Amino acid sequence: MSGALLVTESRVAVVTDLGRARGPALGLPVNGALDQYSARVGNILVANDEGAPIIEVTAFDLAFTADADVLLAVTGAPMGVRVDGVPRPMWEPVSVRAGQSVSLAGMTEGLRTYVAVHGGFDVPLLLGSCAPDTVAGFGTVLAPGTALPVRRSIDPIVNPYFDMSLFNLDVLVPYLGGDAIIDVTDGPDAEQFAGTADRLLREPFTVTAKSNHIGLRLTGDLPVRRSTEEVISRGVPVGAVEVPPGDELLVLHRGRGVTAGYPVLAVVAPLSLDDLGQVRPGQRVRFRHSTVEQAERNARLWRDRLDALRQRIGTIYSCLGVAAQLGLPEAVPSAAADHTIAWEVHS
Amino acid sequence: MNGIEIAPCGPAALRVTGVSGDRERDWRTVHHLARGLAAEAPAGYLGSIPTYESVLVEFDALATTGARIRSVVDALLDAIDADAPLSERPRRFTVPVVYGGEHGPDLDDVARLTGLDAAEVVRLHGEPTYTVRCLGAPGGSPMLDGPAFPVPVPRLASPRTSVPVGAISVAGRQATLTPAVAPGGWCVIGRTPLRVMDLTQEPPVPYRPGDTLRFRAIDDAEFARLDGAMLRAEEVLA
Repeated sequence: MSGALLVTESRVAVVTDLGRARGPALGLPVNGALDQYSARVGNILVANDEGAPIIEVTAFDLAFTADADVLLAVTGAPMGVRVDGVPRPMWEPVSVRAGQSVSLAGMTEGLRTYVAVHGGFDVPLLLGSCAPDTVAGFGTVLAPGTALPVRRSIDPIVNPYFDMSLFNLDVLVPYLGGDAIIDVTDGPDAEQFAGTADRLLREPFTVTAKSNHIGLRLTGDLPVRRSTEEVISRGVPVGAVEVPPGDELLVLHRGRGVTAGYPVLAVVAPLSLDDLGQVRPGQRVRFRHSTVEQAERNARLWRDRLDALRQRIGTIYSCLGVAAQLGLPEAVPSAAADHTIAWEVHS
Repeated sequence: MNGIEIAPCGPAALRVTGVSGDRERDWRTVHHLARGLAAEAPAGYLGSIPTYESVLVEFDALATTGARIRSVVDALLDAIDADAPLSERPRRFTVPVVYGGEHGPDLDDVARLTGLDAAEVVRLHGEPTYTVRCLGAPGGSPMLDGPAFPVPVPRLASPRTSVPVGAISVAGRQATLTPAVAPGGWCVIGRTPLRVMDLTQEPPVPYRPGDTLRFRAIDDAEFARLDGAMLRAEEVLA
């Protein structure tokens, strides 16, 4: 059985995923969730593939009514989550019954919040991805009145003792306040900024209001490009730090045009790109020098954490007896099988 | 392979640049490499952006490492025949263009900056049979070698916030047309009435690297007649 989320309030919210991997070779940016960690965790919490379609809410409140029983999780920038007016936690699975209304309100810090629903959403794909592309004019934008089809309904899962939290997994929650510390590695054209490249690392930069999913523009003490030769267009990586003419630093994000003619001073590490997906205009950014090897180690650590989380989630859903309903393997590790049964499944 | 430089771009990309001194050879090399990687699809490989003489190879830092991708790149480079053409039978495209006026607001500036008159700029732009070097931003633009202007064309000091679909533009020693509305810093010298992007197709643009493209000057009446038609490859008699 499937259903839909009926959107009642939305200002800037879209359905996205981890990005259009086939796009860049064809001249289209990768796009996708700007905080990939939060998007991946959201999908893991509701037993989805990490790349399943997910709602990305930017800055403004969102409200919808579910017309079927759904299992959802809210991750990313902190917002007040309520189901029929009752506060519910973020970073945990939340069971919502048909007819209940869900509201996300009052984002206090950070910029992007994610709503994952078990089964994902039925939305149009372009080159295998639902990620919006503002240049190509593609994507699923949520507006009041939108009925967003949910692929799979899931019977309510209830904790009979408190009817509050299904389970708390102690997920690592990113801290989004204060100055953002952003790891960068040397770019392939760093030598073109000889003598001033380290300005990037010395003083903090301030994010300006012209920042978006294509790139962040920051003010500060800018490195100066020494060469003036025309650079012929070439592929630029997501995370490229450039100094275009003008008085701002440009950090390209996932909506970046895939080719450009500016030298690449530095490249933001993948995990720090998630942090840049959460910084607000006016917030300060401190760049910290890293090496490719260190950035690779951090990425592997992240991968291990996500894998461990998926395993714990699978174990818990098995213990709750809902693994089959969620499409998960039934195998229950013996150690975990002993602490079951505290909760029941209402069908 | 000699004449190649490989530089890491963070932990999720490598830039492979041909430095053989032979631009045609470097161009073929990086496009053959991109196709080889797509065919081999090593674990964690995401895709490549081949351009004129370099290719950005992208991969998932959570699933593989630069060293692993590098070893696949090295093996492919050893096996590539850099003399082999990208396409045995390039397709041909002709793009009708209204030059100057409201459709080409920078035509007179380009003439001034290159020391030519506007008619000469149009003539030089319409003269060559261009090779589609690569697909670029925005939206799969066909990136071309520029016309034989005496000097490179500077980019606009202040980029436009919105360049319309079909804009025909030049910058540096490059030329292109714009499949989708986007900001842009290139000089717009004309506009085609044809649409080039179709999101129901893969790829969404009809040309690919190695195909050829010509521009043909038209008047406003023909612009109105062709407005909104799709750009298609010409029929080639076998």
